[in-house]
Amino acid sequence: MSAATNTMDVVTPMGTVVRRGPAAWVRGFTDMMRFEWANIRPWAGLVFIVQIMMGVGMALMYGFFYPTVDETTALLITTGVPTLALIPMGFVLIPNSVVTQRMAGTFDFIWSLPVPRSAQVSASFVVNAALALPGTALALLVGKWRYGVDLHLSALLVPAVLLSTVMCVAVGYGMALLVTNPLVVNLITNALVFIVLLFTPIVYPASNLPTVMMRIHEVLPFYPMAQVIRAGLTEGIVTDVGGPFLVIGVWTLLGTGLTAWAVGRRH
Amino acid sequence: MTTTTLDAPAWAPSTTLRSGSGYWLTAYRTMLRWHLSSLRMWLFLLVMIQIMFGVGYVLGFALFFHEIPRTAALWVSTGTPVLNLILLGMLLGPQLVAGFKQQGGYDFVKALPVPRTASAAAWYTVTLIGGIPGMVITLLVAQVRYHPGFTVSPMVFPATLLIVFTGTMIGYALAHAITNPMTTQLVTQALVFAAMGFAPILFPAKQMPTWLASVNEWLPLGHMATIMRDVLTDGLVTDVGRAYLVVSVWGVVCGWLAVRALGRRR
Repeated sequence: MSAATNTMDVVTPMGTVVRRGPAAWVRGFTDMMRFEWANIRPWAGLVFIVQIMMGVGMALMYGFFYPTVDETTALLITTGVPTLALIPMGFVLIPNSVVTQRMAGTFDFIWSLPVPRSAQVSASFVVNAALALPGTALALLVGKWRYGVDLHLSALLVPAVLLSTVMCVAVGYGMALLVTNPLVVNLITNALVFIVLLFTPIVYPASNLPTVMMRIHEVLPFYPMAQVIRAGLTEGIVTDVGGPFLVIGVWTLLGTGLTAWAVGRRH
Repeated sequence: MTTTTLDAPAWAPSTTLRSGSGYWLTAYRTMLRWHLSSLRMWLFLLVMIQIMFGVGYVLGFALFFHEIPRTAALWVSTGTPVLNLILLGMLLGPQLVAGFKQQGGYDFVKALPVPRTASAAAWYTVTLIGGIPGMVITLLVAQVRYHPGFTVSPMVFPATLLIVFTGTMIGYALAHAITNPMTTQLVTQALVFAAMGFAPILFPAKQMPTWLASVNEWLPLGHMATIMRDVLTDGLVTDVGRAYLVVSVWGVVCGWLAVRALGRRR
């Protein structure tokens, strides 16, 4: 008995000092990026191909819907598809990966790793965004080639795409963390994709919608996303980008806040 | 001592093979109950999702146009019911089986003492039950929204049966003939994507590039929509003989592949 106590005394406790500060955060962030990448690597090729297919596929598919694709329609499709390609990454891939982790039981394990949780979330954001952006760019190129649209890229595109990506990931993450039932998450993501593909004025003008729906879309994040990305790709089509940026900013804060709250609480 | 007990177990199951139409019917009924009770509330939810999907598509398609042209309205009204009919058999069926395979329940279901055709027929019945309500409500909404002037012929019944049969058998073949569940998942997803955008279901084939339209001449999806248009409208489509032929051949071949794969020994 006393021997056992003695042994306990000699063992040096491991890591009782809480690591903190920017250096520890960056270290945790890079470690978690490697962890995320190792996790996703078996699927990365597949996810990549699906992203490209979705983006490119939609760029072609929407053209088939119209008897004749006139100049305005072509421009709307080409500049709308990058938005459509970004949305599934945040609103489908990330919630689904959280669901898979929950079902496989790895979720709690990952949360228990001695790394700041904000570093974990940021790492998963960077890896997922890196997988989504090439498909988005390719969709734009294919649209440009198919419909022969003239694009005017401006510096606005950079903040537009970055903020939109952060918003999608933040809201997607927040949703996946707060809604713990995998089935409900699945239902929400599928319903969102359906709404985004058909009922959101991304590849068609907002004036096609009934007024009530137009008002609703002004406060939902998807239409503003399409507006700011379109503003970065064209000249003179979108006149006001302040409002849309504000809406996306609010959604980003909301998503980040929810994620931070869900990440920080204990259960 | 042990040997004597083994020699004469009182509970020995019958070693004779059961066969004949009576046995087939019993197996069919049992498998139907099996499928219905394993889906239970799911089936109700699926029908609801189907209805929302169909209604959503019919209404949402109009938003792509400032004012939807009559032909576009007619095509989407007659194309969406096809999606309603095939989604359950072609998308959900294979995914259910893939899930079974991943969880390890597949061998159990495969080992059930029922004829393979009875099992396939029972699943076909379930997809009919799940698909038809969605189709009917989608058509009603299309009628109210667009007044496309449907002229429904009595051929709608065999046509519906045929479309569901082929859709279900394609899914059944994907589920059973492909051994890796991941591949099944991927192929079905791609198939649904193709059905929405790359087959002339929701829009006329002449809006697609010529080569894609010619490829679709040999695939079943566009022809299913042709059949549906033939039984719902008057004179919108011609050359339905080829459509019936292509859809039937695909259904029979896929059914044969699936039933053969079900009986394969490892």
